Amino acid sequence: MEFKPTRESPDAWHMTDDLHAEHGKGDPFAAAIRATRMSMIITDPRKADNPIVFVNDAFLRLTGYSRNEVLGSNCRFLQGPDTDRQSVERVRQAIQANSDISIDILNYRKDGSAFWNALYISPVSNDRGEVQFFFASQLDVTDRKESEHRVKADKERFEAAVKERTRELEEALEAQTVLIHEVDHRVKNNLQMVASLIVMQKRTIKDEETRHSLDAMLSRIEALGTVHRRLYQSKDVSRFDLADFADDLISDLLTASGHSEIRKELDLQPVIISAHKATPVALMMNELVTNALKHAFKNGGDESLKGTLGVRLHNHGEHINIEIADDGVGFDGKQENSTSFGTRLIHSLARQLRAEVTWENANPGTRVKIKLPADEMQ
Amino acid sequence: MLKPLKVLIVEDEALLAMELESLIEDAGHEVVGWATSSSEARELIDTVDADIAFVDIHLTDGPTGVDVAEYIVGKDNSMVVFMTANSKRIPENYAGAVGVIAKPYTMAGLNSALRYLQEGVREPPPVSTCPTGFTLSPDYQSAWSPSHN
Repeated sequence: MEFKPTRESPDAWHMTDDLHAEHGKGDPFAAAIRATRMSMIITDPRKADNPIVFVNDAFLRLTGYSRNEVLGSNCRFLQGPDTDRQSVERVRQAIQANSDISIDILNYRKDGSAFWNALYISPVSNDRGEVQFFFASQLDVTDRKESEHRVKADKERFEAAVKERTRELEEALEAQTVLIHEVDHRVKNNLQMVASLIVMQKRTIKDEETRHSLDAMLSRIEALGTVHRRLYQSKDVSRFDLADFADDLISDLLTASGHSEIRKELDLQPVIISAHKATPVALMMNELVTNALKHAFKNGGDESLKGTLGVRLHNHGEHINIEIADDGVGFDGKQENSTSFGTRLIHSLARQLRAEVTWENANPGTRVKIKLPADEMQ
Repeated sequence: MLKPLKVLIVEDEALLAMELESLIEDAGHEVVGWATSSSEARELIDTVDADIAFVDIHLTDGPTGVDVAEYIVGKDNSMVVFMTANSKRIPENYAGAVGVIAKPYTMAGLNSALRYLQEGVREPPPVSTCPTGFTLSPDYQSAWSPSHN
């Protein structure tokens, strides 16, 4: 390896290896850099291809090269097959821009083994601001990089496992939802068959009272059918939207009553209850709306006297309030015939639901209020 | 002629309770009360006079039917019969109950069970054979139907 003295400032040679015999001695800073365990080199950018002009022993121990093999060479001999090209480019750009850089880069020893190099390069300028040298230190951080890689690989593995498990659970939930929807669908179809049986049986019956009983049974069964239709149409199989149901129920019952002239006044807030509570609530509403419709057009058969059906569904936090009102003949302060099956049904369902049911004279007509405890509905 | 039974119904489903009540009354017996939860059942059994309580396992406050049975049996005034579709939830000793009527029951099955229980309550052991759909607890099996052991 040959180095010729240049015409530059003598300081520039202060630490170069080929002059150390004369110049380095007696300089405590130079001695410290030679002896430190931190690998360090100096390159000279004013020479062609920015060659190494000084290496300390720590660099030689780290890389496995001898001093003669590296002096005068550009540092790129440390690169190898798996060295990241982008990192090399960043180092090149920093040197070109005379700026310093700190970067972890994969380097190779003389024996071909790779190590992670925490490289730090900084330019050294003279008084005039001209860059004279680049000073570079190298630190073997292979252990740290490997554990970083291990942590990253573990994290990726866990994330993949979680993703896979989530996908499995979503599929299972999807399958379960499909099954429950199928069950609700079948229940609804069977209820429809029961309803058809009742309709057919009714045709053969002359007695008015029996026909009315069958009609009442029909509307109860159809209300249950509506519950199951709403359940298999809903995304969440465990929840039941009472407002949607009420809307359906009222339309169905109005159509069935054959009195399309009755006005609807609906005020339905969204109220979601547990699917388990859907059946008793639905049956109770069916009874009350049926009663209201019966009374709403009992105005003496005068078609010009249009009845009104009012239904309110409000969520008051602790309570769910349902109000069903008609402007018909009212009940004259007298309780609905308390021995009728419909009334008994309302009272029994109210007990099951812990609901308060009150009848008020609305002048004209009747207003029934149902107060459901919200926590019982979840 | 045996005296009719006074029956307490402990059942959370209103429709099932109403149906059971009419079946019991049609069979000539008296329903003295209906409870939907364990607390209602305790209150009722403390205030009414019942020969027998029909107890569902699942009530409005959870699977508390077994606790209700233990409470009623502990008072030593009334017998308990479970009514459930899921007899696996009944403990091995039946919590002191006479037995279990499996749901769903038929009208005829319930009537036979009522007759058998009426005999068992009024003049034990019953002279009729244990009807199908009614399973005796091990204790009552040996007391009322020892030949089957």
